Amino acid sequence: MIGVEITGLTVTGPAGTMVQPFDAEIPLGTTLALIGESGSGKTLSAKSLIGLLPRGFKAEGAATVADTPLPVGRDDASWRGVRGRQVALLLQDPFTSLSPVHRCGDQIAWTMEAARGHRMLRRERREAVAARLAEVKLPEHVAEAHPHQLSGGMRQRVAIAAALAADPQLLIADEPTTALDASNQAEILDLLRAIQAERRLSVMLISHDLGLVRGRTDTVLVMQSGVIVERGETSRVLSDPQHPYTRALIDADPVVAARRGSGEAAAVDLDGRPTLTSAQGIVKTFGHRTVLHEVDLSVREGEIVGVVGESGSGKTTLARCIAGLEKEDGGTIDFAGETLAPGRASRTPDQMQIVFQDPYSSLNPMMSIRAILAEALAVAGRGADEVPAMLELVGLPAEIASRRPAELSGGQRQRIAIARALAPRPRLLICDESVSALDVSVQAQILELLSGLREQLGIALLFISHDLAVVRMIADTVVVMRDGRVVEQGDCAQVLTEPAHDYTRLLVAASTRENAPAGAGKD
Amino acid sequence: MLAARVLGTLAVLLVLSIVIFAMMYMAPGDLVKNLLGNRASNPDTIAAIRAQYHLDEPVVTQYLLWLKGLLTGDLGESIRLQVPVTEAIGARVGITAAMCAIAFAMSVVVAVPLGVISAVRAGGWTDRIGNALSVLGLSAPTFAVGLLLLYVFAYYLPILPVYGGGDGGLDTLRHLILPGITLALGLGAILVKLTRTAMLRELEADYVTFARARGLSERTVRNLALRGAAIPVVTGASLVLTFLVGGTVLAETTFSLPGLGTLLEDSVLFKDIAVVQALTLLVAVVIAVIALLADLAYLLLDPRLRDRIGVDS
Amino acid sequence: MTAVAPTRARSRRLPPASVLVSLAVLALALLAVVLGRFLFPDAMHQDILSSTLAPGEDGHLLGTDELGRDVLAMSVAGAASALVGPIIIAVGSMVLGVILGTLAGYERGWLDSVIGRWTDLLLALPVLLAAIVVGGVLGGGYWVTVGLLILLFSPSDIRIVRAGVMEQSARPYIEAAQMLSLSRWRVMFRHILPNVASLVITNMMLNVAFALVAFSSLSFLGVGVAAGTADWGRQLTDNRAIMFDNPAAVFVPAALIVVVAVAVNLVGDWIGQRLSQVGEEA
Repeated sequence: MIGVEITGLTVTGPAGTMVQPFDAEIPLGTTLALIGESGSGKTLSAKSLIGLLPRGFKAEGAATVADTPLPVGRDDASWRGVRGRQVALLLQDPFTSLSPVHRCGDQIAWTMEAARGHRMLRRERREAVAARLAEVKLPEHVAEAHPHQLSGGMRQRVAIAAALAADPQLLIADEPTTALDASNQAEILDLLRAIQAERRLSVMLISHDLGLVRGRTDTVLVMQSGVIVERGETSRVLSDPQHPYTRALIDADPVVAARRGSGEAAAVDLDGRPTLTSAQGIVKTFGHRTVLHEVDLSVREGEIVGVVGESGSGKTTLARCIAGLEKEDGGTIDFAGETLAPGRASRTPDQMQIVFQDPYSSLNPMMSIRAILAEALAVAGRGADEVPAMLELVGLPAEIASRRPAELSGGQRQRIAIARALAPRPRLLICDESVSALDVSVQAQILELLSGLREQLGIALLFISHDLAVVRMIADTVVVMRDGRVVEQGDCAQVLTEPAHDYTRLLVAASTRENAPAGAGKD
Repeated sequence: MLAARVLGTLAVLLVLSIVIFAMMYMAPGDLVKNLLGNRASNPDTIAAIRAQYHLDEPVVTQYLLWLKGLLTGDLGESIRLQVPVTEAIGARVGITAAMCAIAFAMSVVVAVPLGVISAVRAGGWTDRIGNALSVLGLSAPTFAVGLLLLYVFAYYLPILPVYGGGDGGLDTLRHLILPGITLALGLGAILVKLTRTAMLRELEADYVTFARARGLSERTVRNLALRGAAIPVVTGASLVLTFLVGGTVLAETTFSLPGLGTLLEDSVLFKDIAVVQALTLLVAVVIAVIALLADLAYLLLDPRLRDRIGVDS
Repeated sequence: MTAVAPTRARSRRLPPASVLVSLAVLALALLAVVLGRFLFPDAMHQDILSSTLAPGEDGHLLGTDELGRDVLAMSVAGAASALVGPIIIAVGSMVLGVILGTLAGYERGWLDSVIGRWTDLLLALPVLLAAIVVGGVLGGGYWVTVGLLILLFSPSDIRIVRAGVMEQSARPYIEAAQMLSLSRWRVMFRHILPNVASLVITNMMLNVAFALVAFSSLSFLGVGVAAGTADWGRQLTDNRAIMFDNPAAVFVPAALIVVVAVAVNLVGDWIGQRLSQVGEEA
């Protein structure tokens, strides 16, 4: 028995062919990785294998699971009895994939009851649910919880238990860890790997993250604009990529770079530089919750300081206090020797600017690029005639000025956001997860642009990220935050090679996508 | 939380009562003249009437007297009807309440399933019909629908009574069917739209996709989505009830029903302050209670909310 | 993510037939508003000697009312009174909604609380009941009723605009504007307002239909338009008594109200859909 065989699978949409025909095999007990950037067609391929393509899309081709053909391209009714029992799909975001108003145990039980065609007796049901929860290493009482009472990692475990509850032979996991914190990502993938070995499952792992794939998958398909450009054993593809696109992806990936030992920011001599801004004893509370406990941080002129931490660590709040978008409840923030009162009123645009995470909502959709940049230039008394120069500075052609944000790609928008931030000639640029929403290849370009700007303009950067691998590529010094406190800080290379704190060690391991150190994770 | 809510509502009611009292006081028209009608008036009668209703006191005193009465459970006396306000309202509240209940029940029973089917088969013929009906229901004034029904049932199809409130029990119920339908059309139109929108949004949600991906039957999936859509639908239903309270006047006028709506209309024209005050406050209380019930329903429906305010689930 | 937004070809596509018909209906209605008076200068001409005539009798296509007035002429002439008020109500309430809603949603703080309590108070009674009470007390009248309805329609507009403004305010492009230390007026009216415009316009269209229904309801109840005026809602009340002699006297103005309201609703829905598509593309 071969497991899963896919022949000539293709997807067409309203705009034409989205996925060119391709073949693949996933033997029992192995994992196939389907790698590609957003819009490559990887998710459409996955959804066509479970009959859940969006309206207007159509699949053709054939696929078999344990020699039983799947009704690829057929109507909903043909898929009845196949979904859940032969093929299951795990979605990206555990925060939305479970019904918020039902208990976790019920959601797992439904899968089983759908397969059996009848409701289970209460006791039988409880025991079955407990067994499924045990498989994903969750205690029995989770069955009584609602999803919002669990952490992201736990929710994804519940989702895995629910997906596998009718014992399918093929599990399609669509970016199953992208929405999770670094320390949870490895755990979930390792759990999937363990369950797979136990059950002899075929797994199709959809991901944009090459680093995540190493050591956890057997074969890789690399997809670019709907075409498979490279395939082969995972270790071979990663060490010896044949197609230029694969090579570019690997080069751009901060994790792979980190593993190779390259990808560290070139050392810049910062000794003796004056302090540009410093925050001392910053305290911030939201209601009863204290998100910053007396945090200290300083940035020297021309320095790139990376702030790393998981969601909820307070890193973004700290950056927003420095920018004046939040008002700190205690502590002082100095800028160029002057103490700034909390809030924007005490600050001027030529002190600091921010580049935000989401390139789609950080530009006003109703304004042209020219209007956006001209407005920012006017703030510093500069004329609209400098718009082309600003565009050139961020590596964009001048013609783009007449367009609206909707007509630009994510990377282009982020460049515009950087140009807007630079227009008032700030001395500090705050980047709040500014590359997190971008594809790796675009991410690498933006990082390059930012470090180039530092050299060209002598600007200082405060670079906030959840991803140590990214910070490693750009920062001189790094500050590690957890639960509103700084747990470690110092020279970037040193902190990352010889982490002193357990938590930093955990983040470093996660950043190279290695298996999580036992007991270090928290849920 | 509840206490703050009740206090807020009381504050609104207090302000509302002051505003209405002041307006009625300043409005043109003389109560005494209204009361005496065409009868000959002599100064003694007028003085007696003015004294009886404290009309010679300063307006603030009049208001405070009314407020004091309210707090002791005395809503005053209807000048127009010459009976206590509670009695005037009590005699008519049954008809209005029954009519509202009929209309609400009819609209929910028809509109919610229609909205659900419209969303599930979006673009299908049920959806088209549902959409056409809801646009029509939103566009047709209650009284126009009422007059049409009245005309048809009086002229061509004399199987249902079109006039008055009947003489109690089943007969009254029969008299309330047409007014009920009249009101239900507008309500149903809003409810269909709300249900369809809420249901469509839920059907697009990730958890519905995930449910399908696990092989759950389409019926189970639909129930899941409906459960998720329950909160916006309850919100809609509570808003619709408010709308209903306003529409009763029109239905009652059209079908000549002796309900609260017609009572209010007549009392306003007569400057019968005590009745107008009592009725507006009654309506405001009913609306506040509906909003409160909707909030309690959210607690029942949404476990996230339960945790946020610390109620044990 | 690299997808380039569709070109503007879509905007040249014709709207669906129902919307085209609705647009034609609205054009006719507006024509009646503007020209009604000139087409039927003697619409109000009474002929008390003649009794109510059924449609077709004595050269009256739709018959006459109790006072011997031609129903067709009255209905055309009544468009102005029936439609101008609702349009002004919708526009006025939109203006109030935009100003107060934007201030409340962007400034927050005490201003938001004050505006919030104000809308709470206005929403404590259903629009129609409040209009009956206040209108009845003030003695009614066309412009009093229009002003009253503007006031009573505004709280829901304020809330809608406020919610839209709050949603936009939380977006990074607004924070980027704050980082440039732009004035609050510039942020509110140059950045936020264009982004809630689609919401505002859609809502205003739906409010025209709603105001048409509410306004005619008030006329029906005797608040608003004075007795004997050429006005659709008023015709219904005045002619109820002769409904069985000349049904046209009641059902023609009623049908006109319904048809115009349907047309406004359909066009409003269509505009809303179009604008939200533009928003998604953006």
